[in-house]
Amino acid sequence: MDLALQLLFTGIGIGAVYALVALGFVLIFRATNVVNFAQGEFSMVAAYLMVVFAVDLGWPYWVSFLCALAGMALLGAIFNLGVYYPLRHRTFLPVIIATIGASILMANSVLAIYGPQPQVLEGWFETPGIQLGPVYLDSQYLLIIAVTCVLVAFNYWFFEHTMVGKKLQATSQDKEMASLLGISVSTMIMITFIYSAVLGGLAGILVAPILFVSIQMGSTIALKAFAATIIGGFGDVTGAIIGGLSLGIIETFGAAYISVPYKDAFAFLVLVLFLVFRPQGIFGERVAEKA
Amino acid sequence: MPLLEIRDLIVLYGEIEALRGVSLSVEEGQVVTLLGANGAGKSTTLRAISGLAKPAAGEILYQGQSIVGLGPEAIVRMGISHVPEGRRVFPGLTVKENIMLGASNRRAKKSELSREADAMFDLFPDIRAFSNALGWTLSGGQLQMVAVARGLMAKPRLLLLDEPSLGLAPVIVQAVFRIISEIRRTTTVLLVEQNARMGLSVADYGYVLETGRIVLGGKPDELWGNEAIAAAYLGGHAKQAATAANV
Repeated sequence: MDLALQLLFTGIGIGAVYALVALGFVLIFRATNVVNFAQGEFSMVAAYLMVVFAVDLGWPYWVSFLCALAGMALLGAIFNLGVYYPLRHRTFLPVIIATIGASILMANSVLAIYGPQPQVLEGWFETPGIQLGPVYLDSQYLLIIAVTCVLVAFNYWFFEHTMVGKKLQATSQDKEMASLLGISVSTMIMITFIYSAVLGGLAGILVAPILFVSIQMGSTIALKAFAATIIGGFGDVTGAIIGGLSLGIIETFGAAYISVPYKDAFAFLVLVLFLVFRPQGIFGERVAEKA
Repeated sequence: MPLLEIRDLIVLYGEIEALRGVSLSVEEGQVVTLLGANGAGKSTTLRAISGLAKPAAGEILYQGQSIVGLGPEAIVRMGISHVPEGRRVFPGLTVKENIMLGASNRRAKKSELSREADAMFDLFPDIRAFSNALGWTLSGGQLQMVAVARGLMAKPRLLLLDEPSLGLAPVIVQAVFRIISEIRRTTTVLLVEQNARMGLSVADYGYVLETGRIVLGGKPDELWGNEAIAAAYLGGHAKQAATAANV
């Protein structure tokens, strides 16, 4: 029982990272109808930005953190202007291929600078964690869970209680109608890319002290996050969060009770089961209604 | 100077000429109805005015100023609001949110928009009770009310209405047209209709569009008076009378 609680905590922590990246996937998909295959690289680039600011330049952690997020906002804007915007009137295929190209470009640019050796990034806190009864709460996992909670709350407030959020929703549901009402569709898509890049970046920065900072971290996280969006119901915000958390919990328990080497396989086994038996995902019906 | 003037408008969809030289004008304070069969180019005309379709040639003047080449966002800010075919109510937003978004062409506080949307329900009492219902849950008639209310939130000088009666039960059609006759007190309306009888009942002037060309324009009684036109485009009495005589 104690082990199960401990695993649950760890699973939620890692699942929260998947949830953040999955949220980025879903928001861009809803706004542009295209899956952004570079979403995982946003996490990778942000983690390397932290290495640049906090390790190489030796800036204070929180300054580095804010600078890395600002860098991600900038990257999101450039990504939109360079990858999506020129192809916005084309079908989804050229756009998807462009996002794959952009992801290769980002990964290899970082590779050219830092080489293939993984980098190490310290956690935010000096204290490694606290013991709460039978469960040891690692401080980095606590931070991840706290930040994710705040972001999910912010996300809800932003989309449900602000006019900009409503305009973003309108844009994702019917771009032509949104433009007829005077909503600047290109501005809304710009906001979406910046927000998604920052979300992905946050996930990368938060998870970096747990994993190593490496070129591959982006694709590993993105694959899990993508699986999470399918499990949750593609295009659904709540589904992305629930899907991410479930995947984190499932793979942690699978690794502990069944097999450590097959840790990654459990996530994809669940994905395959969903694709076979419930391809619309947990919240699938709501997506269908919105389409 | 007419509020809106279109001269020799040509719009292409690929190789096909959807509009082949359309000219018409709308005076301030009028309701002008554009009649015609399916595929005649009625919706295309509205889409060209609101900036959704790019004309290949011709001129669209609004308050004497050319608006060809401007995007839909710019055009609605100038005071032309387009309620398109098929209502296009955002399915995942509530009725009130849909209506509030109608004011996206101007700056206003959220609280102000909320008040204005509530006031809009005075004109559309049938949808007041559905204020918090999501778009996809509504019936066709309710969707039409929301779409028109949303279009009016832009405070337009010119309202473009595309087939407001399409697919609605006769009672609902009556209700929609009652609202149009309310709207005309304050706003100029360019109305596209297949239902000629209803379309002309509220109109000051009507045009008949046939395969991308205006074939006739006139006051409603003049259009009704033209027997050939009445028979062909207005679902006319001539034909009905003939059928009745035969029976």
